[in-house]
This record gives sequence, C-alpha cells and structure tokens, in this order.
Amino acid sequence: MIDLGALHTQVRDILETGEVRAVVGWRRGSRGMLAEPVTIATPEEAETLVWDPTCFHNLSLTLVEERKKPSWRPGKPIAVVAKGCDARSLTVLMQENCFRRDEVYVIGVSCAGSGVLDERKLAQRLPGVEPDSAAFDGDAFVCATAGGEDRIPARELMADRCLECRDAHPKLNNVVFGEAQPRAFDPPFAALARFEQEQVGVAERWQFWQRQFERCIRCFACRSVCPMCYCEECVVDSINMAVGADTTAAEKANRIRWIERSASRADNIGYHMTRALHLAGRCIDCAECERVCPVNIPLRLLNNKLEREARVAFGYEPGASIDLPALVASFRDDDPNHFIR
Amino acid sequence: MEAILDKKNLNDWIAALDGWDAYAPALEDGVWSYRPASANAALAHPNTVQPPKGFAFPQREIFFRFEQIKGEAPRLTPVQPEPGRRVVFGVRPCDGRAVPRMDRVFADHVDDGYYRARRKDLAYVGLACHKPQSRHCFCKSVGGSPVSTEGLDVLLTDLGERYFALAVTDVGKALMQAGGALFAKAGASERKAVEQAHAAAVAQPQRGVADAAAAPAALKAGFDSPLWEELAQGCIGCGICTFLCPTCHCFDINDEVTGAAPLKGQRVRTWDTCQFPDFTMHSSGHNPRDTLGSRLRQRVSHKFRYFHENFGMLQCTGCGRCVSQCPVGIDIVQVVNRVAGSI
Repeated sequence: MIDLGALHTQVRDILETGEVRAVVGWRRGSRGMLAEPVTIATPEEAETLVWDPTCFHNLSLTLVEERKKPSWRPGKPIAVVAKGCDARSLTVLMQENCFRRDEVYVIGVSCAGSGVLDERKLAQRLPGVEPDSAAFDGDAFVCATAGGEDRIPARELMADRCLECRDAHPKLNNVVFGEAQPRAFDPPFAALARFEQEQVGVAERWQFWQRQFERCIRCFACRSVCPMCYCEECVVDSINMAVGADTTAAEKANRIRWIERSASRADNIGYHMTRALHLAGRCIDCAECERVCPVNIPLRLLNNKLEREARVAFGYEPGASIDLPALVASFRDDDPNHFIR
Repeated sequence: MEAILDKKNLNDWIAALDGWDAYAPALEDGVWSYRPASANAALAHPNTVQPPKGFAFPQREIFFRFEQIKGEAPRLTPVQPEPGRRVVFGVRPCDGRAVPRMDRVFADHVDDGYYRARRKDLAYVGLACHKPQSRHCFCKSVGGSPVSTEGLDVLLTDLGERYFALAVTDVGKALMQAGGALFAKAGASERKAVEQAHAAAVAQPQRGVADAAAAPAALKAGFDSPLWEELAQGCIGCGICTFLCPTCHCFDINDEVTGAAPLKGQRVRTWDTCQFPDFTMHSSGHNPRDTLGSRLRQRVSHKFRYFHENFGMLQCTGCGRCVSQCPVGIDIVQVVNRVAGSI
C-alpha cells in the first residue's frame, strides 16, 4: 500500500527546496468519489494530494499540455505522480524527445497493492448507486455509500488493464512509493483473447467494429485524453494544418481533407483506424481512451491488438526503457520482413 | 386531458399510433440511447447518454448537393428533410425543458428550415422522475422540476402498475386519443396518487446552483476572474460536455467533396463545440479563445449568462450529463457557484 503521509512529505520537500517548480497529482474532486488532476506549486498544498482507486488519469497528459503552451520554458523539472502505466507513457514521451529525462521528476506510485476501478463495472455492480468514496483494502474495493459500505472483490471491479497489468511498479522514477511485487490477475491481452474467441471470423469482426464506430459522436475525448496524441495538427480537424502568419489563402483553401467532420460511419472508421495505427508501438495501455468514451466504444481492444502485433513481430514492449529507440524509428537486421514483397 | 394507462398496454398504445414512428430508450452495447421502439418497449431507463436533441438537430445535416460539369453552370440540389411524424417516449423533464430552448434558437430567433422540417412533426412523451437519475442532477436549482411538463406533449407518471398520463398539448391529446380504450378515465384516487408522487419527487434533495437568478449578472462581473483558468485546470479539451448537452447547438458547415470528375459533393452542417481549439481559430492562425479557461468560461457563460441576455431564460436545464460524463469531473454547478460566489 502507498504511505500517503510519506508521499505528502516528499512533495512538500521538493517544493520547499525548489527542486521542482510544480507537482502534478490528484486531489478530491467535486464530482462524487472521483479524484481529479491538479497541479500544485506551493508546499502548503502538498496535503491536498490523494491516492485511491479513482486516480485513473494518466497525468503525463498534463505535462504534454504544459509543454505545448507558448509559456513553456525549460527550467527546473516538473514532478508528476505516476502509476506503473503512466511511467511507461512518460518513458515513451522521452524516447520521442518530448521531454528530456531531467525535465521530469517522476514520483512513482506502485499499484502492486491496488489498481484502479472501472466505473462501468461499478455501475453494473451497484446500479443507481454512486459511492461517496472508494478505497482498496488489499483484496477488495470498499465503496462508501449513503447506505453504508459495500465491499466488492477486486476481480469484479478492477479495470481490465489493471487485471492484466504488465508492470504495476513504475520502473522510471526519481522516488517510488509502494510495493514492488507483481500482481496480475490475468495474463496480458486476456480481454483481447476473449474478444477473439467471441468474434471469430473476419466478417464478424468487421460487423462488430462497424457497429461500434457507427455510434461515435466524434467528441474526440479519446484523442484529447491520450498523452501520445500530441500532434500540433491532426488529420481529422477542420483546420488540419498548422496555420501561421505566413500560410497563404491558397494553402488554406486547398488543404487536404482525408477525413470529413461528419460523424458518418466511414469517416468515424477513418478516424479510429488512423489513431490506432499511430499508436502502434507507442500505446502503453493506460486505457484512458476507453474509459472516457461516452458511448462505450471498446478502444482498448484496438490498441491492445497493435501492441501485441509489435510484441510478437518485433519483440517490442512500449515504455520499457528510455534508452531504446522507438519502434517505428528503428531497424534491426533480424526484423521480420517476409511481408515486404 | 388526464387518463390512466396500464403498463402492460404501453406497447399496444405505441402500436396504435398509426402514421407515427416511435422511439424509446434502449440499452445497446452498454449505452442507453433512443432507438426505434421495439415491440416490448419498457420505460425503465436512467437518463439516456445522449439527449433527444438529435431528432430535431441531428449531428449531421445535408443542406444540398452540388455538381459541376466542366463548361456548364453548377447544379445545386436542395435536400429537405422529410422524416415523417415521430414520437419520442421516455423523455425526462430536463430534456423536455431543452425543447423550447432549442426552438428559441432555431425556430424563433431565426427560421431554420431544416430544424423546422424535423421539429414540426415531432412529439415528446415525457416520463416524470420519482428520484434524481444521478447524483449530478440539479434541475430544481435552474428553474426546472422532476415533474416539469415544459416542452413535452404528454407527461407520464409511474404509479406502479399504471401510468398517469397528462396531455400537455393538442398533439399530446391526439396521441392519447389514438390509444382509445387502452386509456381509462382517471379518478379522484389516481389524481391524489399522482399529486402525492409529484410532491414526493419535488421533495427529493438535489445539489444545485446557489442562486440561478443572480448568475447572469455575477458571471458578467466575474468575466475576468482568475478562477476560470483554475477550474479548467484538468480540462482535456474534448467535446463531451457540449455534444451530450441537450441545449448546446453550435455547428460548423463544410463542403464535402465526393467526386472530382465531375466535381460533386454536398454541403453539410455538423455539430461543433466551443471546447475545440479550432472553433474560434481565425484564418490568420490567431485564436482569441486559446486557453482552456477561456473556453470553459464561454460554455458556462453561454448557459448562464448570454442565453439569458438574449432570450430571458437560462439555457441549462440541470440534466447533469456534462458533469457525470466529464473525463476529469469538471462540475458546472461548482463552476457557477465558485465564480458567482467570488463576486
């Protein structure tokens, strides 16, 4: 388990000594039991940080957003509280030179003794009830409701990605809290394997995905929440080119539009396929895209599929080390190439 | 007109609505949404993920098709929606109250032919809430009620085995009359039961906006408040809050080219949102609303100030979707209360 008091002390210390300029973590939100992301800059705020099974958010996103602001200046590092998956995403971002290692102070929190819960599973387990808080006691989630406490076994409520967690202990860290022992309920890609058993043929799968993408409302929450979707321009935006003072009217008028703004099935599929392919070898399975989707599109399956392809074909695990080259930026003599003809 | 409908007769009533296409909430792939009513529709739903907004204002509307054969004049083919008569069952009172607000924008303030064509043959059969659908409901604090009839044609109230049906409009009356003998006369005891049910529903505690009447002036005074950026700190800039809102109505218009020789395509209106950076981006590349805080201020001020200045009513109906679906839990109630409270 995480010693929250020790984490507070650490955060207070690094803010007091000025080792970092700010700390990104979670605090209690106003929306029910859910924690919310927060950036603090004074030692007095250290104690507002929380750690519980609703700390879903991959906070490396906050750093990416900060980095994009015109006000960004290199300087003292920013600290970020990171779960195992979040630390892997920071690793990928460093591999891709979004950040230098010394620009980020990683406060690792190991989920070895917890994991985050899945709000959809919770809604099914406790229909119509929204708990005031949730905690993890080692074996079960304890949800406090108006009617008392509900103790629900971990397996029934834990997010799929946590059940299949590859590395709950953040390898990339300046300091780390919590245990190091592995805790996995399911082997990696278990949900994907279940899907492949249920939807066997190509035609069935195509039908399945058409139905899923049909209801996409193109709110782009999956893209917005993804730390790896940091492009300045995106193929789906109506202004899918970086417009500057020198951009001519003709360039703007003749911009290429691969994917229209219409939430039509074809355009939705174009969007989601593009995103999935751009995440191959980069997605570290924080599964935030799937969590935030308001219409419940199982996006994690797509990303897992490509992650497994990269693992099987190239022995590549995204987020393993900042010293490794990125998958799509490297070539080895023994890389498989039988498909190039 | 008031009458009693046995729940087991609901589907017979729907079937008796000759010339109407009926829609009702259904759970598909884990999402409650309005679908063509099945033969065993039951109104046992929490509020739908998406409001019924799209029936009159779909996410995608084709205005006209165009074609240009070289050497000839461009040919335009108008597209006029002809959806036929549609009736939507199970609309919650908050979403009902969104209807006159959307009418103000598209059928009063301006006359939008596409909206009018869809809206004129559209009826809403509401379902009163006995208790808040979620902890994020706040209809009462923005002038609504869990039993409001505003914007609805019929309001159903669940009385256990039966519905108490109240016709709110002439269209609603006609819908009930089409049910004929399926409806029984409402007696004094049923009237009393519905009164009690409504009183109990209204008495249910809800969170809420502290002083909605003062909000427009307070938000005006708080336009430059540093709180906007602070409250938007966690915002990821997606479109969930606006796309799921029953009254958000901003749109974009694009020409979608579908063929090059001859050049052809269509002009399309799609939902747009003030939460996307390109919403206010000028063609120069300058963006006057380039921070998350300024976009949060726009969304909240539109609901609680600008709409009020333009139409004399708050635009928010307190359905709570923007709160419950926000990936980072940004809470419009807290935003209004904090900014207004800081003045």
